[in-house]
Amino acid sequence: MEYIVEKIGMSRTIAVPSVPVTLLKVVEAKVCEVDESKRAIVAYASGKKMNKAIAGQQKKYDLSAEFNRFVTMDVVNAEAGALDTAPLSEAKNLKVSFNSKGRGFAGVIKRHGFAGGPASHGSRFHRHGGSIGNAEWPGRVQKGRKMPGHYGNAKVTVKNDVVSFDAENGILAVKGAVPGANGAMGRVRIVK
Amino acid sequence: MRNKYIESFEKAQVADKNIPDFRAGDTLRVAVLIKEGDKQRIQNFEGICIARRGEGTGETFMVRKIGANSVGVERIFPIYSDSIENITVLRKGRVRRSKLFYLRGLRGKAARIKELKKK
Repeated sequence: MEYIVEKIGMSRTIAVPSVPVTLLKVVEAKVCEVDESKRAIVAYASGKKMNKAIAGQQKKYDLSAEFNRFVTMDVVNAEAGALDTAPLSEAKNLKVSFNSKGRGFAGVIKRHGFAGGPASHGSRFHRHGGSIGNAEWPGRVQKGRKMPGHYGNAKVTVKNDVVSFDAENGILAVKGAVPGANGAMGRVRIVK
Repeated sequence: MRNKYIESFEKAQVADKNIPDFRAGDTLRVAVLIKEGDKQRIQNFEGICIARRGEGTGETFMVRKIGANSVGVERIFPIYSDSIENITVLRKGRVRRSKLFYLRGLRGKAARIKELKKK
């Protein structure tokens, strides 16, 4: 079972030991179409994007104008209607997928955790990667060499335990951190 | 301003906590619940509150006392932690700032704080 969620931010519990939690809001979603294997087309609202294709889908599934995003995912609903969030109350462990924060073109220290060199004493080796290979043999750089490049803004999935679920407000509290910025949209999948 | 969902999540947790009103400069007695194996007991820590910081469930306060051999001892407690049995305000202090870190550099009579006179 999957759900569309919005990352709200982090907090903590007052229990001993205190647990760091990330709050996720389960976005209101409408199931448009379900097949036998419980794969469904689900609509939800995000931003103001609108075009003829979206308008056509809204007309087809009889949706109001704010439901402008469509995704395919696993649901528990047997027929079209509001997305059933009941399984979240019993969920213990989730897979949470978000787009990570974009870091732009990042060097090897940030991107791959290289150690870098000393800042002073004339070391002349600060934040670059150093040698990238051997000599005339093999005469090329090995595949998979870690180098600077674009980092972040990619789908990252983590596993988190569920701390609580407030069905009334649709607020899910998971233990630990979740990728991405506050306010970002992502998905959770119930593992067990 | 904090997000309303974070606020309501934290409010629900601290709803049944009864924390007295205190600020830096007040003398406090903090009853700390200590678990040792399957036994638990309460240990008091008495001293001057020298700072309060943070908000929501993450709010903490710092208590400073002069321990044995006049060694300063400071402890930081989360205000709403379940390990704090209760907080008693023994004395209200008259201070003009919210962080009393200058007390660390003072000793003996100089490190006293006047009691707040009620008007």
